Amino acid sequence: MSQLGQVVGILRKLNDEYQMSTPKKLKLIDAYLVYVLLTGIIQFVYCLLVGTFPFNSFLSGFISTVGSFILAASLRIQLNKANQSTFNVSPERAFADFVFAHVILHLVVMNFIG
Amino acid sequence: MYRSFMMIIFILLPIYSWCATSTVATNLYPANLNGLKSQFQTAMKSFSDVASIHYSLAGIKELGVQPPDTYCNDIKKLVDKTNIESIYHATEAAKTLTNCNLPVEDYRSKISSTIQSDKSTTAEIYYAVRSSINLGLNIDESLIEKRLNTLAKTDDSILSQGYALLTGAQLSPAIAKYYADTINDLVQQADEIDGRILQYEGGISTTGLIFNAFYEVAEKAGTSIKIDPKQLLKFANYFSTKRHVATLRSAYYLTKAFKYISDNKNSMPIVVTRVSSSEVNAQNPSVLVSVTNLFGQPVGEMIVTAESAKRNEDGVVVISKQKLTSKSSDFTVYELPFYDKKISRGFYTIHLTLTPQTDGKFIGLTDHTIDVKVTSEVTLENVELNIVDRDNAAQIKTYKLTYPNGLSNNLEMDYHQKLIIKFQVKDKQTDEFIRVQQAFLRFTNKQSNKEIIYLAEATSGSNPQYKVEVDLTTNANDFRHQSDAYELVLLVGDALLQKAFSWKLTDNIQLSFHDDNVPDIDHLNIYSAKPEIIHQFREAEKRPPAIVSLVFSGLTLLPLLILLISWLKLGFNLSGLPLGLSPLGFHISHGAAFALMYFYWKYLDMFQTMRYLALVSIPLFLFGHRVLAILAARREKKV
Repeated sequence: MSQLGQVVGILRKLNDEYQMSTPKKLKLIDAYLVYVLLTGIIQFVYCLLVGTFPFNSFLSGFISTVGSFILAASLRIQLNKANQSTFNVSPERAFADFVFAHVILHLVVMNFIG
Repeated sequence: MYRSFMMIIFILLPIYSWCATSTVATNLYPANLNGLKSQFQTAMKSFSDVASIHYSLAGIKELGVQPPDTYCNDIKKLVDKTNIESIYHATEAAKTLTNCNLPVEDYRSKISSTIQSDKSTTAEIYYAVRSSINLGLNIDESLIEKRLNTLAKTDDSILSQGYALLTGAQLSPAIAKYYADTINDLVQQADEIDGRILQYEGGISTTGLIFNAFYEVAEKAGTSIKIDPKQLLKFANYFSTKRHVATLRSAYYLTKAFKYISDNKNSMPIVVTRVSSSEVNAQNPSVLVSVTNLFGQPVGEMIVTAESAKRNEDGVVVISKQKLTSKSSDFTVYELPFYDKKISRGFYTIHLTLTPQTDGKFIGLTDHTIDVKVTSEVTLENVELNIVDRDNAAQIKTYKLTYPNGLSNNLEMDYHQKLIIKFQVKDKQTDEFIRVQQAFLRFTNKQSNKEIIYLAEATSGSNPQYKVEVDLTTNANDFRHQSDAYELVLLVGDALLQKAFSWKLTDNIQLSFHDDNVPDIDHLNIYSAKPEIIHQFREAEKRPPAIVSLVFSGLTLLPLLILLISWLKLGFNLSGLPLGLSPLGFHISHGAAFALMYFYWKYLDMFQTMRYLALVSIPLFLFGHRVLAILAARREKKV
């Protein structure tokens, strides 16, 4: 019981810390990430339930969520001011890369969806 | 030292090559004259062209049958006056008949135009010259000679040279002699096969024609034909192998070739063949050979000596330098007594050489081989039929049998028992027990006539005993478990046995097997139609019901709601959205890119999409750049 209480306490602390120290921009991106994650999970559950036919469609949908997740995550990293020292790109450049990569991702996904 | 080594090479090499070439196996056969005769006679029943008439009538005349004059009308009907070859065949055919005169004037112009023309081939010149002689026309020998010389330069094929020789044989002896001297060159141009056969490219009709040309031109020149005897033998070998020829032309030239090499005036190859049976035993103790020429005619007295008779198995020589005795008055058949107690069973090869007692140019007098086999009588001894209990080896029922008596009583066996048969094969002559090539035990099902055969195996060692064992439990499958009455037969045979054995041991042996009958494989119906295979298309994979898919599609869109709500809660800074041309343009082109994706999914293919995408990405890039620049400037200002 005390262990569970400890875990809950840690989580609450994490949440408070997060709410306070994260800038709004990053929080927006985090919300987007959660959305993409949920979409991916639902697709995967569907596949488990009804089987993998047609496999290419499942793959393209799933890879679309995975790819979007990765691109959004990398955008978040690049926009995080705490990482300014490692990355030397302006936020505008990061966003432009994000859009460009998404166009290509969607092209591939649409090709594969069948 | 080097010099002596070279000298040894130079001395040994020719000796070796002489040895190698002198052992040309001369296994000639007499010509198939009856076959050739019937070929000509069949063709003579109906003719379709004048060449066939020529070959058949001339061929049958060579074989000693005079064709009747009724064919003269056929010749006149079928000849084509505009074709020099046709004229040639007609005149030749007419010459074989006793009274057939062709109208000379019809052909004179064609003949002379052929001779005059530059374009005539050697064959056509020959046809023209020969036709002239047959019709009694004059020919200009110097003109012909000049023509032949020109043709020799332009056409050096072997057939053309043959025709040149034949033409030379129609002219004066001096010209013929010139051509006769080229015979040796022509022989060198022949192809040697296996070191035994000489032939020309073009098969039997070309080789026959050229061979005939040699003899004709030598005869006209008045000289003897100068061909190396070994090479003549190889030609003879070639002709000897042609037992059946396809065309009349080949048959005619083959007949003439045989006639020439069987003529006393020329070198004559000798044919030695066995006329007795190949089996030598107490009833046929001698080997009889015939000595003739290729035409089957006698060649005068010869001394025929069996140089050696070797057993093929171990090379042991059983006869050495024994003379054969002459059995016929025309000296065509000779006898060699072979059967002897000391000569054991086996296959033997006898080498014969001949020494002629009359004058004559004989060739091929050595290296004749005759193959014979010496057989013997055998008996089956110590034949035992045992029925043994499988579990209790002590319980045996034994029956002793003697050939040719079978068992008088009926036998019964069931699956507890096994059948063992033992016997020995004894050579009557040597009293030795021997092994044979075939020793089988055969069961025949009396109802279905199905046969089951087992192999009897001999023990190794000096006194072999044959044994065959049939176990009714382990071998039941061979009988398909069919419990029935069977017939039992012992089969013993060998190439060297005078008589083989098929001995019915018992007429009725009842076999009972443990399991039920298994039906026989119906061998007649193996090739009946098998069940038809209907093509099955691949079954579509199972899809979930539409409702499930729709529900999940809805569920997938659910997180979008969650996103919008959480964004609103977080405070989406919509007010900060810049307005103006560039942002508008950016949003429109961005939207257009995703609309293009939708169209790609539904309607377009990759190439079109790429083109449209390229188109859309230009404003997208431009406007995006501008919008970002505005935002960057705004950020700079704030800071």
